[in-house]
Amino acid sequence: MVLLSMILVPIIAAPFAWLGERLNKDIPKFLSLAVGVFLSLCTAYLIVKYPGNGFAFNEVYKIYPPFDFNLHLAVDGISLLLLGITAFLAITVTLSSWNVDRPGAYFFLILLFLGPMVGVFASLNLIWFFIFWEFTLVPMFFHIGIWGAENRIYAAMKFFIYTHLASVFLLLGIIVLFLHTGTFEFEKLVGIHLEPSVAKLIWILMFIGFAVKMPVVPFHTWLPDAHVQAPSPISVFLAGLLLKMGAYGLLRWEIFLFPSTTKFFAPLMAFIAVLTIFYAGFRALAEDHIKRMVAYSSINHMGFVLLALASLTAAGFSAAVYEMLGHALVISLLFMVAGYIHHKTHTWYISEMGGLMKKIPLLMTMFVIGVLAAVGLPGTAGFVGEFSVMLAAFDYWGWIMVIVPLASALSAGFFMWMLQRAVFGPFSELVKNLSLKELPLVENIPLAMYIAAFILTGVVPSLVFSLFNPAVNTFAQLFK
Amino acid sequence: MNVNYLTAVMLLALTGALLPVINRLFRISSVLGGVISTFGYLVALFLLLISDTGRSLLNGFFTTDEVSRLLGILILVSSWMLALVVYWITKRDKFVNELIASVMVSTAGALLLLCSKNFISLVIAMELMTMPTYLMVLFAFNEESFEAGVKYFFNGALAVGFILFGVSILYGMTGDFTFKALASNLFKDPLVALAALFILAGFGFKITAFPFHFWGPDVYDGTCPGVAALLTGISKSAAFIALMRVVFEALPVISEHLSLIFALIAAITMTLGNLLALAQRRVSRILAYSSVAHAGYTLVAFASLSVPMSITGILYHSVAYVFMKTAAFLSFAVLLYIWGARTMDDYKGLGKREPVLGALFLIFLFSLAGVPPMAGFISKVFVFTAAVKAGMTWLALVGLLNSAFSVAYYIWIAKQMYLEEPTIEKPVNSANKVWAVVPLAVMAVILIVLGVWVNPVLNASALYISRLGF
Repeated sequence: MVLLSMILVPIIAAPFAWLGERLNKDIPKFLSLAVGVFLSLCTAYLIVKYPGNGFAFNEVYKIYPPFDFNLHLAVDGISLLLLGITAFLAITVTLSSWNVDRPGAYFFLILLFLGPMVGVFASLNLIWFFIFWEFTLVPMFFHIGIWGAENRIYAAMKFFIYTHLASVFLLLGIIVLFLHTGTFEFEKLVGIHLEPSVAKLIWILMFIGFAVKMPVVPFHTWLPDAHVQAPSPISVFLAGLLLKMGAYGLLRWEIFLFPSTTKFFAPLMAFIAVLTIFYAGFRALAEDHIKRMVAYSSINHMGFVLLALASLTAAGFSAAVYEMLGHALVISLLFMVAGYIHHKTHTWYISEMGGLMKKIPLLMTMFVIGVLAAVGLPGTAGFVGEFSVMLAAFDYWGWIMVIVPLASALSAGFFMWMLQRAVFGPFSELVKNLSLKELPLVENIPLAMYIAAFILTGVVPSLVFSLFNPAVNTFAQLFK
Repeated sequence: MNVNYLTAVMLLALTGALLPVINRLFRISSVLGGVISTFGYLVALFLLLISDTGRSLLNGFFTTDEVSRLLGILILVSSWMLALVVYWITKRDKFVNELIASVMVSTAGALLLLCSKNFISLVIAMELMTMPTYLMVLFAFNEESFEAGVKYFFNGALAVGFILFGVSILYGMTGDFTFKALASNLFKDPLVALAALFILAGFGFKITAFPFHFWGPDVYDGTCPGVAALLTGISKSAAFIALMRVVFEALPVISEHLSLIFALIAAITMTLGNLLALAQRRVSRILAYSSVAHAGYTLVAFASLSVPMSITGILYHSVAYVFMKTAAFLSFAVLLYIWGARTMDDYKGLGKREPVLGALFLIFLFSLAGVPPMAGFISKVFVFTAAVKAGMTWLALVGLLNSAFSVAYYIWIAKQMYLEEPTIEKPVNSANKVWAVVPLAVMAVILIVLGVWVNPVLNASALYISRLGF
């Protein structure tokens, strides 16, 4: 019942947030916070009770057994980590949106988003995975379209149509898979034998769906628009959860299910990954728009995730899952701060900023810490993630992967250059005349939480590695 | 003999027939009319719920099986909700009771059509369903509705003419009206095949399939939207089921030849419907063309008729369609009544003015677009699964791409309602909205429940499939 309640409680709470606004403007945000705490407690309970390996907490709600159309919920270490991210971001995003306008509708949509999100990570039934997957688009569309920046409507429409189109390919892949196996259940699908040509068709169809969500080049064009126009807390959801759905789906429903086909396509995945890393890196270097730059660096990091997945080893999968966590924490912080900078200076452009450190030292210190983590400073989750990705890539692909550290240098390059221009250095014309204030406490708490989380997991990575390593090792056996 | 189903149909038609008489005698108000019609619907619903299946009625003219029972209940519920909403939006009109009477008689015809077992009963039921709608289309009594009414009348007459012509050829050649006669004599004489072609063409008119779709959007747009809801939702859904019976019970031997024809018509119908919907400025026309596109999706299931899954697809799509299309048109009708909103520009910011009605409208639109967890999603899954299983992956891909692009105009309405600033300042009619919201909410709930709880439809289709002997 724990997993089902984690899905249903947010959905049931959602209308109350909407209605509650009429009584008191504070009800929605406290309700959302309460749901965030509830999700965290549930996840903590699951992590404590988790036996260490395999799928635990099985809940099967039979609906139509002949087609395996059953709601089957269960978690292993990988899902638990992602549920943890979901619960953590639920709290931080709520705190970051503390003073949003029209809180009723806003938190209604947040809650409507969280329930299916849990479902995506906890569902072991492919069709239910897809139902949850697809439903997350609806609240996101309204979040971007209603609370976004100037060009929000274009961004929201593009986001919805683009990702929905991708889901269509995923759905077709699911249908073909179902017709050849007769089941939607993960545990029945693992190790099932398919004709290679069919398996390749399914692989490509599903890959398109997942690749758009991740996103990787050349399927990434929706992301910069969506990120730039979305309000910062929603950017956190986009980067922290929506992109993770793509990577998680790729790992769980594609790589684990079709080991031999994935082996066939591994060079393609690695190529796309390297392409993504470099393309996004150079785009970020050229970008003057600070949030767009962070968005490209987010794509750059997802390239690392894909690269790690393409290595098809236990070390690679572990690195990928860890990098997902690191990305969620670090990029979330950067998006939040980029949003605050715009809020305070009313400009998006790095060239118009300068000397911000002297005006708002606390916020900028946190920004610098976040940037350093994104670059891969030892002692942060960013370092552990990138380092383990590179190790796995070297291990599998050999010396060709010497280009990946170069990409790391590229990422260091664009981030440091941005810091030098925007944060340090002399005052710009614009900043000189502004009187800037630090953030209120409630908005600083989430930022501090991100920093604490990525330093904690960076210093003691075994905390998280021990959670999902057994699961990863089990599935890595498929590739031996 | 199973009298319950027949009694339900007759009671419904009788209530419908008596309503104008009572109105003439006592000049009843719309509220009292609503109560009387609700009573008729409830009694019919109760009789349908207790009716058993697998019996034939009137010497094999009609049969009540699980399909007719399931669809009958759902059509009855959506027709009841439609009657309530139409009462609400036309309560000031003095002919509202006559309008609802026609709705009830037409619904009785739809219920009969669901269980017709031979060509004579099919034609009778279809005429019973269609005749009242000729009156209803003229109800708005303006120039547009005259044009729509004339168009609708001639097309309807043409459709029935085609079917009757086909049936009379069949009778002339075989001396038999049953579905089986067509099935067993199809290749004996080219004239019988011609009869089959005429019957299919007649159905093409009814379900607005290409190339017989031209009248659809003009009529749905020209008449008052409450009537359009009945025409496009309930009548079409019943016609889908009747076509399913004809195809699977009367024409099983030529499935290979039919399959490709259906596939081509399906591909053209949905692409055309979606493309034309994208080009529209009036919301009613968007909904009308989306109804054409949905006929295309159903035809995808018909095209895959070599596999049993196709019946599941047809059935599920009809079930979802009867609620989502009827409800979408009704939402449009309610918003038209309150705000006078017709075009996309009028819809700007309407969601902010009408949060509940807007949200309900969105549920129906998302269901039409195929977004889970609404029934429109799972029905599309079954339709396209059937196509892939029948070896027509190309058709499934065309359908899915169509479905993905159709999202553009559904989401465009959502965008106008919620992301733009309002343009209309004052409502045209302000009234207590409860009686418009409650029926729509009921339909939304049913739509979501049927999208997750698939058992009723799948069980009915499994029984029907096993009875057909696939």
